[in-house]
Amino acid sequence: MEKELEHQFVSNLERDQNIVHKICRIYTNDQASHNDLFQEITIQLWKAYPKFRGEAKFSTWMYRVALNTAITLYRKKKRGIQTQDYDSVHFRIKVDEYDDETEQQLSLMYNAVKELNDIDKALVFLYLEDKNYKEISETMGISEVNARVKMNRVKTKLKKNIKSVSVWMN
Amino acid sequence: MDELDLLKKDWNKQQGNYPKLTFDQIYKMIWKRSHSIVKWIFYISLIELLAGTIINIIFSGDEYWQDIEKNGLSEIITGLYVVSYAITFYFIYRFYRNYKRISTTDDASTLMKNILKTRRTVKYYIAYVLISTGVVVVGGLTYMILNHSPTDVDDVSKYTFETLDWLKFIGVTAFVLTVLLGLIWLFYRLLYGILLRRLKKNYIELKKLEV
Repeated sequence: MEKELEHQFVSNLERDQNIVHKICRIYTNDQASHNDLFQEITIQLWKAYPKFRGEAKFSTWMYRVALNTAITLYRKKKRGIQTQDYDSVHFRIKVDEYDDETEQQLSLMYNAVKELNDIDKALVFLYLEDKNYKEISETMGISEVNARVKMNRVKTKLKKNIKSVSVWMN
Repeated sequence: MDELDLLKKDWNKQQGNYPKLTFDQIYKMIWKRSHSIVKWIFYISLIELLAGTIINIIFSGDEYWQDIEKNGLSEIITGLYVVSYAITFYFIYRFYRNYKRISTTDDASTLMKNILKTRRTVKYYIAYVLISTGVVVVGGLTYMILNHSPTDVDDVSKYTFETLDWLKFIGVTAFVLTVLLGLIWLFYRLLYGILLRRLKKNYIELKKLEV
């Protein structure tokens, strides 16, 4: 029984692991921290798994536990050397169809996301994952109105950050 | 195109850009030890909750009891012990209940609230220990001063306090007590601060604008 549960859980996570990787990318700055956070999220997901009754899709259920771990439970380890393995360059793969200007704009966007606080990052992440306000409010435990207001502020903040950087660069 | 739409579009194109862990790699991870702050909070709180009891045990040696009995205080002291243990157990029970309530499947706000609540129980306990220690020390000293039996010493005059001595004595006692309790409080705040600084900040940020 236990073995079956383990197997089921690991297969599910293997299939949907991208969700966890995306959260790690937003919340960490180097590969070692990424792996650390991924591991902690995996442990927390596994601990909570007996409570998962299949009432939602596994992936939907994951968002909550994974984000909770990233925002609340995870304690960043102090590292001797602060490496930024995947900043604007390695954070994402280049997409061929974009021109240089778009590429530059995108790397500014990703950097701006990195500068946000933990809560704003969660909101942006849920927005990028195409979650609606109801889902966002349920995941974060705030009212839908608050979620909307907060989201608008984050969007404005992001745009402002990008504008100020690009003005400075040109 | 809006920058955010562009970002969203690119975000969805990045699917192939993430590490791909195998079944076995993930399987190994589920048996690793968690480093979550909830675990730290649990251990540290447990130590703090037991600290009061441990201090009590250290200080209540045989000699201490003989002294108490000689002075006819055993009933009062036993009563105090019963009350203090009852209070300690109440705190431990509250802590346990709050701790059990912490669940990662709750929404972020509820989870943070429950962690802060669990920790607050321990904070109140520490405050209780510090205040009660202060009260007991002051009470004990007052009793000692008012009731010290002259028969214990040969020359009473040596032990009779002048007003200035009294002031000195009270001053020094108050100072030492304040420094000691203050240090414990500071240490506690430091521990508490380091553990929960980020969580508190996030909780405030999350609850901002909430009506």
